[in-house]
Amino acid sequence: MAAANTAAAGAATPAPAPAAPAAPVQVPRGQVDLADFIDWTGVECLNQDSSHSITNALKQGYRDDEGLYLASDSDEQLLIYIPFMQVVKLHSALFKGPEEEGPKTVKLFSNKEHMGFSNVNDYPPSDTLDLSADHLAENKPATLKYVKFQNVRSLTIFIEDNQSGSDVTKIHKIALYGTTVDTTNMKDLKKIEEH
Amino acid sequence: MVLEATMICIDNSEWMRNGDYAPSRFQAQADAVNLICGAKTQSNPENTVGVMTMAGKGVRVLVTPTSDLGKILACMHGLEVGAEANLAAAIQVAQLALKHRQNKRQQQRIIAFIGSPVKYDKKVLETIGKKLKKNNVALDIVDFGESDDEKPEKLEALIAAVNSSDSSHIVHVPPGDNALSDVLLSTPIFTGEEGGSGFAASAAAAAATGASGFEFGVDPNVDPELALALRLSMEEERARQEAIAKKAAEDTSNTENKDHASSSNSDSIMAEAEPASNAAADDKKQPKDDDDLLQQALAMSMEGGASGSAAVADAAMAEAGAVDPDLALALQMSVQDANMSSDSDMSKVFEDRSFVKSILNSLPGVDPNDPSVKDLLASLHGQGEQEKKEDKSDKSDEPEDGKN
Repeated sequence: MAAANTAAAGAATPAPAPAAPAAPVQVPRGQVDLADFIDWTGVECLNQDSSHSITNALKQGYRDDEGLYLASDSDEQLLIYIPFMQVVKLHSALFKGPEEEGPKTVKLFSNKEHMGFSNVNDYPPSDTLDLSADHLAENKPATLKYVKFQNVRSLTIFIEDNQSGSDVTKIHKIALYGTTVDTTNMKDLKKIEEH
Repeated sequence: MVLEATMICIDNSEWMRNGDYAPSRFQAQADAVNLICGAKTQSNPENTVGVMTMAGKGVRVLVTPTSDLGKILACMHGLEVGAEANLAAAIQVAQLALKHRQNKRQQQRIIAFIGSPVKYDKKVLETIGKKLKKNNVALDIVDFGESDDEKPEKLEALIAAVNSSDSSHIVHVPPGDNALSDVLLSTPIFTGEEGGSGFAASAAAAAATGASGFEFGVDPNVDPELALALRLSMEEERARQEAIAKKAAEDTSNTENKDHASSSNSDSIMAEAEPASNAAADDKKQPKDDDDLLQQALAMSMEGGASGSAAVADAAMAEAGAVDPDLALALQMSVQDANMSSDSDMSKVFEDRSFVKSILNSLPGVDPNDPSVKDLLASLHGQGEQEKKEDKSDKSDEPEDGKN
């Protein structure tokens, strides 16, 4: 399937890029990319290097660019807070990064506002991922404990360490997959025009 | 327009009773805090500012971050001065207050006024600084008052630990004539990262006692074009003066070198001056008919020379004189000699036909091959020798004229 896709892409664009964008992410059946439902005004990332900010890893377009990445600043840890515009069910998450500086231990918390590095150990994480170098390279999202993420208004991702134990953690891409819970999206409400 | 939540840490320790910042350290600080609060809340309508004290019965948050300026200013009244400031605790409490801000889009900033000695180790402060940096908190420090016990170094270390992409600043304000708030006006703490948002600066201008803080006494935000024009003209003038100074320095060094070589620098200056006078004389087409003209030309050349190169020579001589009085005397004598012989020098130059011809060539509208000019040159040559004899008799009263 991947091969077929590359062939199609090659026909469309004169300069075929053999490596990176070829293999599409295997989106789990019935799930959608939740990037569309992120409340961008509330996204916060602690300890990010201001010249390599969270948008590089999280936003569509930016995150598929290999040259752009999220980097940590004073040490290897990162704390990312992602509020959603509506309640979602989170099914799986994808992390991509360099082999050396990519994230290793990743803790996910649902609906925890105001978390900081100081109280990151105060709550049990909803799920913990232990990523290997293979995980960081391949396009297969890691499945989460689905039952723990049934009613997610906001997600806090705590990157505890990285593969090599160096001072800087780099992340190329963070993608979240799940479904939206049927709620009224207040943004869709519009003033009724007179007939 | 930076969207920010700011916590301001006030130092209300016993050290604030000192009067070295008018009217007292504490009052000066309160004024500065009022100004900063005004600037921060006006630079963006969504900005919030909170205030806390570092000393007294303990670190205390007076107002959590709010955009209500009245609330902020009101809390500043009736503050008690006492006990010692606890910088480390204050910064951490401030960070906690910022962490629970309502609007997550706001950048976090702590502004700390520190006028009392810092009792903490550099290490402790650096650890706190790293923690702030990790939590994306910027820190501005106003260092005033006490400065012993390596306080500035400690605070610099703290800022260095916090600083990421130049968002944190430190200002050292020594006691002096300027009010604390006036000094802060021009610092990045006040003007913000984009180098002076209009609101902040105009708020400052309104609050400041006069326009004295501004260059040329004109507020650049009120009339930017005028300010730009003033600045440009200032720069041009500065460039001009620099060029003159550079030229003078070069001349001085040249003449100095000649001093050492032959101590006859003034001769060379005279030689330089003479072509100018010759040219002036030639312009009038009847150069050697009377002595007056020559005198006039010489005076002109001396004017130019005296104000330019001769002044330099004087300066050089003065320098030399300071070093060696004998040398100075010798120099003076040589200059007088040069002045005495200036007239004969002049006529010698005119005797040099090729030189005069070259000058005529260079003059616009003069054809050296014109018969009348040639006649003139021939007569000039004759007169030069004739005049030489006259010169000798005139010499006694000439130096005074020449000098003028």
